[in-house]
Amino acid sequence: MKDKGISILLSISILFTLVLLGGLSWALKSYLFESQKVVELPKQLVEEQPGEKNTQKEGKFILALGDSLTRGTGDPTGKGYIGQLIDELQSKSKEKITLSNMGIKGQTSAQLLSQIKEKEIQRQMAEADYILLTIGGNDLFQQGQTLVDPSPTMIEPLQKAYLKNLREILQQLRTLNKDATIFMIGLYNPFSYLDDTLHTSQIVREWNYQSSEVCAEFPLIVYVPTFDLFQLKAEDYLYSDKFHPNGEGYRLIAERVASLINW
Amino acid sequence: MIKLIYNEMLKLVRKKRILVIILIVAALIPLFTYAQYKVAQTVEEKLGTTDWRATLQQQIIDTQNRLSSSRISDEWRKQIEIRLAQQQYYLDHDINPAVPGAPSFTRSFLDQAITLFLPLMVMVIAADLVSSEFSGGTIKLLLTRPINRWKILLSKYITMIFAVSFMLLVVSVLSSVISGLVFGYGGWTMPVITGFTVEGGELVTSQVSLLPQWEYLLMELGLVWFVCLVIGTLSFMLSILLRSTAAGMGVMLATLIAGAILTNMASSWESAKYLFMLNLQLTDYLAGMAPPVEGMTLGFSLSVLSVWGLAGLLTSFLVFTKRDVY
Repeated sequence: MKDKGISILLSISILFTLVLLGGLSWALKSYLFESQKVVELPKQLVEEQPGEKNTQKEGKFILALGDSLTRGTGDPTGKGYIGQLIDELQSKSKEKITLSNMGIKGQTSAQLLSQIKEKEIQRQMAEADYILLTIGGNDLFQQGQTLVDPSPTMIEPLQKAYLKNLREILQQLRTLNKDATIFMIGLYNPFSYLDDTLHTSQIVREWNYQSSEVCAEFPLIVYVPTFDLFQLKAEDYLYSDKFHPNGEGYRLIAERVASLINW
Repeated sequence: MIKLIYNEMLKLVRKKRILVIILIVAALIPLFTYAQYKVAQTVEEKLGTTDWRATLQQQIIDTQNRLSSSRISDEWRKQIEIRLAQQQYYLDHDINPAVPGAPSFTRSFLDQAITLFLPLMVMVIAADLVSSEFSGGTIKLLLTRPINRWKILLSKYITMIFAVSFMLLVVSVLSSVISGLVFGYGGWTMPVITGFTVEGGELVTSQVSLLPQWEYLLMELGLVWFVCLVIGTLSFMLSILLRSTAAGMGVMLATLIAGAILTNMASSWESAKYLFMLNLQLTDYLAGMAPPVEGMTLGFSLSVLSVWGLAGLLTSFLVFTKRDVY
């Protein structure tokens, strides 16, 4: 009995050794000797999965786009205003809320514009019931560089480019999705505790005004101001980097947006 | 010769080496399967969707956020950038990089196991093939037979090759069967993108091609087998040189772990690429990951491994046939 078992074991091993040898030589052949050949992606192999597009249609689908504020930088719980907003909405409503957070830290309006040209993002944009947007902070402050020389000659080209990008972004959103409400979160002045606060505040106010004007060009876009939230006690609501909101600061923004969403 | 190999196989079975390996693999794979299942479940819970496109897009965003952190090292950044480009490529071509299923699980299991887990299993087989004869004293009985010494050693070596093949068979069959219980058995013909190359830290997609997953698996198994053979040969050599199973295994284990550590640091020490331990991740070339040292290719790694393997084999035979046994 034992002898037979060993013979079988041996023959299986030998057989599989040959299979493995085949696999190895195949790999070698296709990698070492056919590397010059450029292979086109054959279309018929690409998986077709129709009917999957509608899986997200139950409940509400919220899409968040933007920069570090959307990401939640500075919030110790990592939620950011988006996370707190979802929590709040979920406590008010029984409906299932699906969130897709596409925020990228440090994103500028130009980068967002190229991000929303991606296919998958566009698919989500088309499906969303609500779209939340924070953008512009990095365009204006440029990681604090703007503060070195906040002169009109410096700001003006920045603002011009930003407004052009913003208009294009909103245009894209509206073309893809006519029904979703879009909330554009305005900027606050993180430097209001500094001495020349009058000057930076003026710049931010002007920036916000121009953004809201662009938003008004499209239907169903709500411009949500945050300037006033951080105006008086900025230090209490800012994270230790003195730029991003802390947990409390995000809560303020979340509450404001939550009061605007009703279904 | 066949009788000699048969005899050696018999010893392996009697010493329960094969059984031990089957048991280890059978015990570990359910663990990995469960872990994988849990991961998939949490992701689904968090995103609230089973759509892989949404999941992949979220992964891309997460990766981009990691890139924007200023504290990551340059090498790591390059790795991430390459992975990012790859994920984007999958998404743009509407191909799911990870359809859940037995073949996908086996594929990623082999990817992970090639550097440490499988070499360890190989060592269980190869490390005492010769040294146990010394420690048990049976070597004298073996060598008093009227057969050339090199034939005896060759039979042991061939047995090692067969046992390694058998082990891979067990690993791939068990991982497919067990993971299939949870993830299902579909996805053998799912298209997999291969042929990504990395040049100067950039992902090149000009040579990309699509393969059905079973073809990819077969190629992968071939490469894994080659790695296992080289590890087996080196353990075999140590088993002869040191005449002690424990010492042989210790040395081999230390080298493998050192290799795993070095892989993370080697990008600034270029000549480290000639060490065999840094060339074990052959499957990464199929998947198109960045190699530990820039400029390494599949051909290069295979050559390095071959040189090490051949040197080990030659040493084994020279030492074994010349050595005095008393």
